[in-house]
Amino acid sequence: NQSREVKEIDLLRLRYFRVINRLWSFFFFWICSNHLPPHSLSSKAIPLESRKMPQVKIIAKNFMDMVASLTAIKLDKLYNNVFICEAILRSLPPLAKKYVLQLLFIDDPVPCTRIEEWVLPDGLSKHRVAIDRLIQLRIFTETVVDRKEGTCYSLNPTFQKNLQKHIISGGVLPREPMNSNNGIKLPSLQELETYALLQWECFLLQLINSGQGEKLTGISSSMMKVFQRGLLSQRDRDGPRLTESGFQFLLMDTNAQLWYIIREYISNAEERDVDPADLISFLLELSFHVTGEAYNLNTLTDVQITTLKDLADLGLVKLQQGRKDSWFIPTKLATNLSVSLADSSVRKEGYVMMETNFRMYAYSTSKLQCEILRLFARIEYQLPNLIACAVTKESLYNAFDNGITSDQIITFLQQNSHPRCADRVPSIPENVTDQIRLWESDLKRIEMTQAHFYDEFPSKDVFEGACNFARQWGGLLWEDSKRMRLVVKSEVHNQMREYLHTQGK
Amino acid sequence: MATVASKLYSDDGSLLVLLLDTNPLFWSNTSTTFSQFLSHVLAFLNAVLGLNQLNQVVVIATGYCSCDYIYDSSLTLSGNSESGRTGMPALFASFLEKLEDFIVKDEELIKEQEHDERIASSLLSGSLSMALCYIQRVFRSGHLHPQPRILCLQGSPDGPEQYVAVMNSIFSAQRLMVPIDSCYIGTQNSAFLQQASYITGGVHHAPKQLDGLFQFLTTIFATDLHTRSFVQLPKPVGVDFRASCFCHKKTIDMGYVCSVCLSIFCEHHKKCSTCGSVFGQSKLDGASTVSEKKRKAPDS
Repeated sequence: NQSREVKEIDLLRLRYFRVINRLWSFFFFWICSNHLPPHSLSSKAIPLESRKMPQVKIIAKNFMDMVASLTAIKLDKLYNNVFICEAILRSLPPLAKKYVLQLLFIDDPVPCTRIEEWVLPDGLSKHRVAIDRLIQLRIFTETVVDRKEGTCYSLNPTFQKNLQKHIISGGVLPREPMNSNNGIKLPSLQELETYALLQWECFLLQLINSGQGEKLTGISSSMMKVFQRGLLSQRDRDGPRLTESGFQFLLMDTNAQLWYIIREYISNAEERDVDPADLISFLLELSFHVTGEAYNLNTLTDVQITTLKDLADLGLVKLQQGRKDSWFIPTKLATNLSVSLADSSVRKEGYVMMETNFRMYAYSTSKLQCEILRLFARIEYQLPNLIACAVTKESLYNAFDNGITSDQIITFLQQNSHPRCADRVPSIPENVTDQIRLWESDLKRIEMTQAHFYDEFPSKDVFEGACNFARQWGGLLWEDSKRMRLVVKSEVHNQMREYLHTQGK
Repeated sequence: MATVASKLYSDDGSLLVLLLDTNPLFWSNTSTTFSQFLSHVLAFLNAVLGLNQLNQVVVIATGYCSCDYIYDSSLTLSGNSESGRTGMPALFASFLEKLEDFIVKDEELIKEQEHDERIASSLLSGSLSMALCYIQRVFRSGHLHPQPRILCLQGSPDGPEQYVAVMNSIFSAQRLMVPIDSCYIGTQNSAFLQQASYITGGVHHAPKQLDGLFQFLTTIFATDLHTRSFVQLPKPVGVDFRASCFCHKKTIDMGYVCSVCLSIFCEHHKKCSTCGSVFGQSKLDGASTVSEKKRKAPDS
């Protein structure tokens, strides 16, 4: 009874304000566009806009996260291999590399504060990132030697020993290449690179239109399914369709794509009864082989040979067979594997020229690149070595529909711009980048904010008090003082209600 | 080419051109032997190459009267087939072999040359120019190259007769925005190297002891250009800006300067030996000889 009374009193108080109380499911659409004057839409104002966009990203760089997530025992086992130590060193952020190098020949733990003194004050955030990474990968171990000095760091002993050995005695090859004189005809580096790219493009083409494509590569369909997971969505009627991340995948550079695929391959390893740690160590080791040299297959374990066959389909290695033995030749794709582990920028000759009139010329013969451009541009005609296309509103809307963002398109254009254009600043005409962003923001005029609507205030004072209160909390979206109505963000609703309660007393 | 004053370095890939002082006249009377020194340097090179797959190292030996390319990591990567023969890793084998050849040749040249009063300096100007030529070639090969920098590992004293050539190299390096780091391991201090690092924005350091040279090299000189913007590095304490005169190649702190071509002389001349401008008799000349003011008379 008593509780009911309390409730009634509560209701009485609230009656004045009659908060429209299907509140929790109430959405208020807030028109947010057209607030910026047109001139502020220069490239400087745009980051503000783009910040709101949802960031869906499939990141290939975090391969090292996968390594870091291995169990401590496995990770320590990995460090027994010199090549992995070096690959890991190369994957670190620059500052972390410097720390490792500086501590390499120091056996005692070094206090954290001492390391902090090595960087300038503006580098402190980078310092923290570096230290975090080192601890994550178990390269640094934290110890507290004495209270006064605080935490100390020392290098992982196995890692340290291996790296010391490597630095003193120089780079050793993981395995000896075969003698070139006993009847092996090695392909030239040029041939090898074309082979690798062809193989990789074949694979990508098969990946994106799995339905109609004839069987081009030897990758088993079950393996292909694994790769396609996340990139393609299986619809009932219209066959497989690229998902948002699939489109984004296509716009990434080759190394990033490669790592994405490799990561899927490794995460699938357990299903094939292969130890992921073994696979990781083999792949990293592979990147230290010399491009274009032949290596005998009999130096490998069975698991490695099966892996190698899959890698050959991706274009990472070329398999050849002689009369007696068979051998593999690593291509640039394989030896570059450890390059792309670090956050270094892309190093590839571009092929796209963008003109101020929205026409785009791509010097390319590749079918795949044509497909990629088709994602956001209209292909007008194709000459033997040139693809001419136009970037139009329709073609871009198409891309946005597929979940590609303007930033991705612009970075793709920047990364792949022809060397002649790449020298110019900016490499992509400003009017084009602005227009791409404008067209995207056209689609995003409306932003939804969950909000609550209040009306029927008893007096002007209460209403104004409520307005001020909401403003102070930064939650006032809209007010109509004539009819005493206001809209407040949901986050502030609880405070608002309490405030109104106190006012009602 | 970008002409921004301070370049932004997006990644840590670096091309290190190391100028190695092999001057026998210097190495014959130091506390550390050349081989000890070399072991530090080789470990350092390995460390640099290990940091990033894109890193590239070029070593140029600076002898007494010649200089030559000793090692280029981009070349040896493709053809290190003879590594097994000597039982040493590829880097060391070819490196040491070439270095030995170079030192023998250099010594022969020393014997041929008549050297009466020359200071036991190394041919720094030569190796600096070679380094810049190499870098220039890299720049022209396209825009996909690691960021170049030069490191001088010098022990011999400066040769004042190389002043003009060295300064020209320094200014070219400045224009190319290639920092020249310098590590001076000799007993005196080197005005050339101090100026080179100061002008090009590199780091100059003169370690007191050579025992821990490797640690010095990795701590200071292995730092890539990208990381330099946020780590503590030794700052120049004071730079020796003294110049050499063009007439007698003496290091001077006061002298006469040609107002047309800025050539420096230690004593008054009638005519500039560089550009041929005729100088008038300075009015102040009689009054105070200390004044280094110089006047050029209108051509008569």
